[in-house]
Amino acid sequence: MPKCTINGQEIEVKPGATIMDAFYQMDQKEKIAHYCYHPALSIAGVCRLCMVEIEGNPRLQIACNTVVTEGMKVNNDSEKVKEAVKWGMDFHLINHPLDCPICDQAGECGLQDQYMAYGKYDPEMAERKVKKRKVVDLGPRVVLDSERCILCSRCVRFTEEVTKTNELGIFNRGDRAEIGTFEDRPLDNNYSVNTVDICPVGALTSKDFRFRQRVWLLKDAETICAGCSTGCNVDVYFNKEGVFRLKPRPNEKVNGHWMCDVGRDTYKPLNRDARLLDARLSEGSKVEYMIPLMGARKAAEWVREAKADPKSVALVLTGQYSNEEYEAIVSTFKADVGSDRIFHWVNNPETFEKFDGLLFRGDRNPNTKGLLQAMQRHGSLNNTWNELVAALESGSVGTLVVAGPLDLSVFPDLGEKLASFAKAKRVVWLSSGRSDVVDACPSPLIQIPMRTHVEKTGTYVNHAGIAQTVHAALAIVPKALTLSEVADVIAGRDVKRGNAPAGVGRRAQNEFTAHRGAL
Amino acid sequence: METKILSEHYHKPEFRALAGYKALGGYEMLAKALKMERQKIIDEVKASGLRGRGGAGFPTGVKWGFLPNNGEPRYLLCNADESEPGTFKDRKMIERAPHQLIEGMIISAYALGARKSYIYMRGEYTGPGRILRQAIDEAYAAGLLGGNILGSGFDLDLDLYMGAGAYICGEETGMISSLEGLKGQPKLKPPFPAVQGYLRKPTIVNNVETLASVVYVLRDGVAGYRAHGTEKSAGTKLFSVSGNVNRPGTYEVPLGYPLKDFIEQECGGLKPGRTLKAVVPGGSSAPVLTADEALRATLDYENLASLGSMLGSGAIIVIDDSNCMVDVLGTVSHFYWHESCGQCTPCREGTGWLHKIVDSILHGRGKPGDVDLLVKVADQMKGRTICALSDAAALPVISFVTKFRDEFEYYIREGRSKVTGKGPTDAQMHH
Repeated sequence: MPKCTINGQEIEVKPGATIMDAFYQMDQKEKIAHYCYHPALSIAGVCRLCMVEIEGNPRLQIACNTVVTEGMKVNNDSEKVKEAVKWGMDFHLINHPLDCPICDQAGECGLQDQYMAYGKYDPEMAERKVKKRKVVDLGPRVVLDSERCILCSRCVRFTEEVTKTNELGIFNRGDRAEIGTFEDRPLDNNYSVNTVDICPVGALTSKDFRFRQRVWLLKDAETICAGCSTGCNVDVYFNKEGVFRLKPRPNEKVNGHWMCDVGRDTYKPLNRDARLLDARLSEGSKVEYMIPLMGARKAAEWVREAKADPKSVALVLTGQYSNEEYEAIVSTFKADVGSDRIFHWVNNPETFEKFDGLLFRGDRNPNTKGLLQAMQRHGSLNNTWNELVAALESGSVGTLVVAGPLDLSVFPDLGEKLASFAKAKRVVWLSSGRSDVVDACPSPLIQIPMRTHVEKTGTYVNHAGIAQTVHAALAIVPKALTLSEVADVIAGRDVKRGNAPAGVGRRAQNEFTAHRGAL
Repeated sequence: METKILSEHYHKPEFRALAGYKALGGYEMLAKALKMERQKIIDEVKASGLRGRGGAGFPTGVKWGFLPNNGEPRYLLCNADESEPGTFKDRKMIERAPHQLIEGMIISAYALGARKSYIYMRGEYTGPGRILRQAIDEAYAAGLLGGNILGSGFDLDLDLYMGAGAYICGEETGMISSLEGLKGQPKLKPPFPAVQGYLRKPTIVNNVETLASVVYVLRDGVAGYRAHGTEKSAGTKLFSVSGNVNRPGTYEVPLGYPLKDFIEQECGGLKPGRTLKAVVPGGSSAPVLTADEALRATLDYENLASLGSMLGSGAIIVIDDSNCMVDVLGTVSHFYWHESCGQCTPCREGTGWLHKIVDSILHGRGKPGDVDLLVKVADQMKGRTICALSDAAALPVISFVTKFRDEFEYYIREGRSKVTGKGPTDAQMHH
């Protein structure tokens, strides 16, 4: 284990580690300017900003490609280094359009941030800037502004090394060099927006996010992506208007540095326009709205009325809820309702076992594993879906409680399943999303709005058995309930709203506190 | 006086073909080498003091010694991407004596244990490319290439690869990238090519003239080779001369030869009535020498380095008093701007910036601080990048504007050349 001294501080690193690795290890990545280096990509060594002075070497070296050797004395705070970095910054900026006021990256831009720390503050470039292509459509999700690009090649390396799809390349040379795609081969893979995240400037922007919010008007909180059973660690960006985007947060055990494009879209069902806002009771043509808690009391009434024959009460669970909620609802059903008719709704059996080799899994639920663990604990694991179908067909189900989708889009079998559920005398439908298909259900049905994973504290077990606890980040539908609260109402207990978020904008902490930041 | 070792028979047309080359002693050294211990050849090259003739002047034997003995296949590549403005000595050799190169390559490949070798040739050299291709075919037909060369049991495949005309592919790792089918861009070092080069295997890259010289190291022996040149700059070298001399061309002189004599005798002196103003001694990236410096310079690595310049590829550009140095720098800075590969930011942006400042001056848009700015920008491009192109762009700028500052300031102030009196409308435009 070689030891070296960096800016006077001694540090021991792994054999083969670079000086840049040492800065990261010391949690001092902000103390060294860099653009092209990315911990999850190969070394390009082209931005030439991570200059360091090594004792005994007259030439400045780049930290990202210099392996630490025993006794090496390194600094990056000498005048020589500072001067080099200042000019290095200026070379990056002489042809940059400096259009920060209309640039989506402003506020989280590597050029802005690092210029503040290392800039020359005395621009001397008075010649005409190089003109390059603007608003280049690279693919379904990503737009390029070549003039903003600093050619760090992170995006190119990402498509070469991570997705291995090789859509991007650097075309032409010198100051005419530009990022681009090959003819008829757009940047169209399920990880394309990661290129936007790792772009240190505003060259690559996300079509979904661009021009929608200034980033300094957004708060962020740590959570996980609920789009599949991988459970990628993400930051959710929101303000009082709602959620605007998700970005991956590094966690080597779960998702590395990335997330998929499908997961990016999972913020959409969180927002009010997709949400069930009030409880909705429909019996035939009669429709009645009420606050969620009243809806839950109505549901509890239905359960109580069917309780004379506990077997006529059944519970359907999906993999969309937290461990704590499963425990509450299952134990309530067992102990208070006295029914063991608890069933697991597998939303997409055909693709359930699929995996793309990177992150995206066919099980489009965040907590299938947690659900199965809860059912096993309570001895309900052997209940088969066919038993439920048979019971529904025979008309023996009085009240059916369905802890349904929080994200309706991952339930392609929604209509088919509802047609089957409608054979119950009464259906209690728990969901966060609003759906015309559900609204059209012919049997008496009460829909109760549920909280999403960003609005409650809960634990989710991913495909590999890693339990991740996330805390409430914001409240989008504050009156919505958790499954635990519904269980309390059914059991006639006081509703403890203890885990309700304090309100929009509270900073939340995930138990995985990997480092943050765009770089 | 010229000392013709490599170029002894360049004036004989028959030397180009295999039969003529053989009749004049060609391939005798190959036969000798194939009977020698490999290490003995490497030792002789090391002892001869032969230094890389492509520009950097690194001792060839020492470079060869960097190859690891790890049992991996290794490659010998010949750099024939001769693109430094002013340089055309390799073209001359290939046109007049292609077998000299091939023989040098077979001997070197044998010494290094390489069984596959490529010549990477400048894309624009279509004529020399045809000649070399023909020579390679002749060598294969005569059993000098391929399997079991001259019954020695040594196999070597040699192929010619034509570049696409990028200066940067003359940088050895840029060349390797291009040969691998990638965009011609230098690779980050370490790893160095001797350890991980072509196809990530140990690779030696040598210049055309260097490889051909190996033949004569063997022919004349260490002492014979060292009989020419100086202690540290051994042997003879081909110099390509262009500019304002009566007889531009390629000349072979021993290293250490006085530049003054070279210009006056070999090159036939300047045009009548003209005086010497400046000399670029080693290709356009070498810092320019003033007439005073040039007249006391000798053509060897050490002397030119002591004058703050370099021997480089041996491309001598002679500039007389009829030339405007602003105009000359305009041409030079345009070249490096055009040829920067664009990988490293200081070079990509800096070459463009330098070019634009000089171009603005030539267009009459020069600003008072421009001379100092040129030096500041160029200074910050030196030693900051993966390869030496950034330095190659910066060095001429610094030397031109410091040594001929008055011409630049005059042009900025008056909007026209101090030398020719011509202004922007007459000046050569570089955009």
